[in-house]
Amino acid sequence: MAAPHCRFRADLALLRSVLVAAAAVVAVPAALAEDAAAWLSRTATAAQKQNYVGTIVYQHGGRFETSRLVHLNDRGNEVEKLVNLEGPAREVIRMNGEVRCYYPDAKIIRIEPRTFRNAFPSLSAQQQAALTDFYSFRMAERERVAGIETQAWVFEPKDGLRYGHKFWADAESGLLVKARIVDERNEVIEQFAFTEILIGVKIDREQVNPTWAVTPPDWQVRQLGKGDAESKETGWTVTRVPPGFIKIVDGYRRLRGARDVAHLVYSDGLVAVSVFIEPIGAASHPIGISRQGGINVVARQQDDNLITVLGEVPVATVRQIAHSVARR
Amino acid sequence: MREQISRLMDGDLEGAEADAALRNLKDGDGLDHWVCYHVIGDALRRCSAPIPGFAERFAARLHVEPTVLAPKAAHHGSRLPLTWAIAATVAAVFVVGSVAVSMLDPQPTVIAKAREANVVRAAQSKLQPVSPDYLIAHQEYSPTTQIQGVGPYLRAVSAGGVDGRP
Repeated sequence: MAAPHCRFRADLALLRSVLVAAAAVVAVPAALAEDAAAWLSRTATAAQKQNYVGTIVYQHGGRFETSRLVHLNDRGNEVEKLVNLEGPAREVIRMNGEVRCYYPDAKIIRIEPRTFRNAFPSLSAQQQAALTDFYSFRMAERERVAGIETQAWVFEPKDGLRYGHKFWADAESGLLVKARIVDERNEVIEQFAFTEILIGVKIDREQVNPTWAVTPPDWQVRQLGKGDAESKETGWTVTRVPPGFIKIVDGYRRLRGARDVAHLVYSDGLVAVSVFIEPIGAASHPIGISRQGGINVVARQQDDNLITVLGEVPVATVRQIAHSVARR
Repeated sequence: MREQISRLMDGDLEGAEADAALRNLKDGDGLDHWVCYHVIGDALRRCSAPIPGFAERFAARLHVEPTVLAPKAAHHGSRLPLTWAIAATVAAVFVVGSVAVSMLDPQPTVIAKAREANVVRAAQSKLQPVSPDYLIAHQEYSPTTQIQGVGPYLRAVSAGGVDGRP
């Protein structure tokens, strides 16, 4: 008896939701493209300009690792120090773009010199469009994190080629205090989160100095960075680039002792995928799939070359790229 | 009725037949079968398991397992017709059941061999994580580094994944 009435109510509800959805679609795109890019730019500026010190927990694959992070911006000179508090006392110092990673347990220092880019690259119009073509960007809840009031933001992927990203930023300074990567089932793949942080405090230079001011003589120094012909195009290309990814780097670099490793980078404006191509040497190379937190890695041999592809994207995306590397 | 539900899920029914099958879902065990078949289908297609906390527990268990670094076989995402799939499941359950019965009174030698095989497997599949050089080289270009600062470099110095050696 009540069926026609119910049907009509259901139709009204449906119509209403369609209208709401349509309004959202019409109203949002132009504003959002700028919002996502503007938000990224604001957040990057806060990360550069603020002085802060805190304890950060890195969560990945069921593991939790705690580290101390100090960031100093001394009249434009940026120095950052990261020391893990568990296991071997490893350390990262980033000073004006140069990155030094200390592995005292292995007696190795890896140095990535200040190279191609240091400031936050302003996103091209194409990349800005990619951000909102391939992610829904939205403001989420306000939440207390590490004792401070934060605003959460979400980049939700519109296809299966990307992970979801959620960021919690200090409501006052805009500094990120928590970042999470989730898969298509909203399962946490990786998370960086401060458990306590002091923002806008005075930081002394000593707090960011490396523990090893002078490299111990028996340590191995591994220089990464520019190769001899860094600016030259490599002639390598990816034939099936996932939609939304744009090539931002094409050059040779030093890596693991070799000077002629081709390095291509593709980015969708939020994450990046690196492609390394190097002649296969005598040394053994792990071939296959591996993972480090939010980074998936696919390594394969193609003719006489080792191809290593990695990025903060699902393994299917990494694999697609790894299997479509070709000479131009 | 079960066959109708199965065919409905396979998309084999149209019009009046589909309507009839849908009506049947409301009768007796219809809905239970519908849910059960979907769970079987999901399991066979490796879709999500609707068990709370499964992923966390699985991740924790997986973490203590040795990592096999080998090329993954190409996965063909073909969908088996559900009728076949259910038949296969029944067969699989039978096999598992038979094995379980035969395992009720396992010989000590069988257990020893199984343990031996586990040790060999663990030794063969040595953890070979990606060299930190690649991670460091990549990190500079990831836009996430620009907004998260030095934090993501933890991937390159994490004691959990990399051993610091080339």
